[in-house]
Amino acid sequence: MSATQTKPNRGYGRWTPLWFLAPAVVTLFAIGIYPTLFALVTSFRRYNIARPREGFPFVGLENYVAVLTDSTFWASLGLTAQFYLTALPIQVVLGLIVALLLHKPGMGLLKSLARVTLVVPLATTYAVVGLIGRLIFNRDFGVANQFLSFAGFGPVDWLSTPNGAFAAIVIMDVWQWTPFCALIFLAGLSMVPGEIEEAARLETSSKLALLRHVQLPYLLPGLTAVMILRSADVLKLFDMVFVMTRGGPGSATDLISIYIQRVGFRIFDLGTASAQAILLLILTIIISRLYIRVLYREAH
Amino acid sequence: MTFLRLDNIKKNYGDVSVIKGVSFSAAKGEFVVFVGPSGCGKSTLLRMIAGLEDVSEGELYIDGRDVTYEEPAKREVSMVFQSYALYPHMSVFENMAFGLRMAKKPEAEIKAQVAEAARILQLEPLLDRKPRALSGGQRQRVAIGRSIVRHPKLFLFDEPLSNLDAELRSQMRVEIAKLHRSLGATMVYVTHDQIEAMTLADRIVVLRAGLVEQIGSPTELYDTPANTFVAGFIGSPKMNFITAKVSATGPSSLVLDGAAFVGGKLVVETPAAGKAKVGDTLTVGLRPEHLTVEPAQPVLALTLDFAESLGGSTQLYARGEGEPIIVLTAGRPALQPGDALKLGIDPRHIYLFDAAGLAL
Repeated sequence: MSATQTKPNRGYGRWTPLWFLAPAVVTLFAIGIYPTLFALVTSFRRYNIARPREGFPFVGLENYVAVLTDSTFWASLGLTAQFYLTALPIQVVLGLIVALLLHKPGMGLLKSLARVTLVVPLATTYAVVGLIGRLIFNRDFGVANQFLSFAGFGPVDWLSTPNGAFAAIVIMDVWQWTPFCALIFLAGLSMVPGEIEEAARLETSSKLALLRHVQLPYLLPGLTAVMILRSADVLKLFDMVFVMTRGGPGSATDLISIYIQRVGFRIFDLGTASAQAILLLILTIIISRLYIRVLYREAH
Repeated sequence: MTFLRLDNIKKNYGDVSVIKGVSFSAAKGEFVVFVGPSGCGKSTLLRMIAGLEDVSEGELYIDGRDVTYEEPAKREVSMVFQSYALYPHMSVFENMAFGLRMAKKPEAEIKAQVAEAARILQLEPLLDRKPRALSGGQRQRVAIGRSIVRHPKLFLFDEPLSNLDAELRSQMRVEIAKLHRSLGATMVYVTHDQIEAMTLADRIVVLRAGLVEQIGSPTELYDTPANTFVAGFIGSPKMNFITAKVSATGPSSLVLDGAAFVGGKLVVETPAAGKAKVGDTLTVGLRPEHLTVEPAQPVLALTLDFAESLGGSTQLYARGEGEPIIVLTAGRPALQPGDALKLGIDPRHIYLFDAAGLAL
């Protein structure tokens, strides 16, 4: 009897789930995992495609030693940190102000409109942000200098002076990422239960105290997310800066990913560039873990 | 001495009027309860006293000061919320100390005040805990503690016991009553539970649809309800209503026709007899606990529908021609569903209401 019994037709076989998962896994492998592994392997090789005759021999940690003793690498990393530490606080503070304004009751339609417009900079490609930046900060017909002239200041050489170029990329980054901070904080603010806010309003009339003691704890998880995303993003920030300044003038805007790109695709020293990239990846992971440990614990 | 005064307070949301003119005052140390069905505006009224809701029209005075447009924190009131509204990231101590910290009180005083409140509410072992590690009853005690440390002029309670289970609720009710006695503070308490209202209040304000139906002490509301709404709302189980027609009037008595009455007629002695005319439709109100089973002089002749024994007492559901009649009687009468049921009542306990529902 049992020999004639057939399995009920479930509509799919043993391997069906695999076929559904396969495209995603294959894509992830092709564009995520494989290149990372390739970079890892390359980082242990001498791999200069401008000198193919030398071959691609394994050289152990030679590339890493070269990177860690390279003063330009450290200078670029320092500049990236400086960029992050300048742009992020501005974004967080401005974002918080925008979020608090949008959190106020009243003006429903205008607020919804404002919320929608917040998404526009987020949806803009970095390269396009860079192009917009070049237009805004153009010395002769840029809108930045026009506004300065309204205030009675002469034209500023934004993109051809070191400080001007650095300020310009910071401003464009703030333009692009403040709305993101605002949206995250807005979500955090709406998590504060109404009655808790009201209980605090009965005890203090200070808006600042309300923000510090009642709302801030609800914003910390969002702030952590912003800091992690932004630090990872700044470490790989390339297109916007490349389009605007190409790292110049001099090395004034030579952020770490611009430098790595130069080593990899101008000097074609892919071994060194890979080692730099891997170190960057490790740095990103360490920074993220740090944020989660320090900030998440406080929030929970 | 008037301590809290509401003068024709109104609240509108756009075209919708939620509070339609409430005037009322409370003396210092009084325990006032706002009671009414959901949506009657009792919570809105309380939130207006707290300043959490803007007053659309009218004036509000606390301790002689006009606070109609004052900020909540400057009204010197404290509020206990239904959801407790404790600050989740602060310990019990910090929750209670927050208001004092904001008022920039010296640290020693804060410690003393919180310790005192913790002692009164038996929270001492819990001071280091976070709210999420507390039970519902403990959280509510912390919320009460937070409101007493500041020594506010006015305590406001917004359905504080609704989230607790029945046993805890009666326990907390007693604690709040004790607290009121020991602090001697003025309290305004919102509830939809008429038992809470009856047991706690010095004075009850019955609200319906944004208007005051009646203000009075619990016994006043019970003994002389102003209308059928108050009569039905105060007392449990609720008052029975029977519609009847006036067939004859005397100087101090009325003869009422109704199918439920023995012989189809009921003679009521009432000083208000002159207010009714022959042919008027009246509502007769009879409280379930005032009705007696198998009396010497029966008033109602009905059929027993169902009996619920509560152990010491029995609740009878009787059917006449009109609406069902509920009777609460001591003991366990030997009756079966379908039996004829004769009910009597002390004539002093018969309530009469006119066609508009107002007490005659």
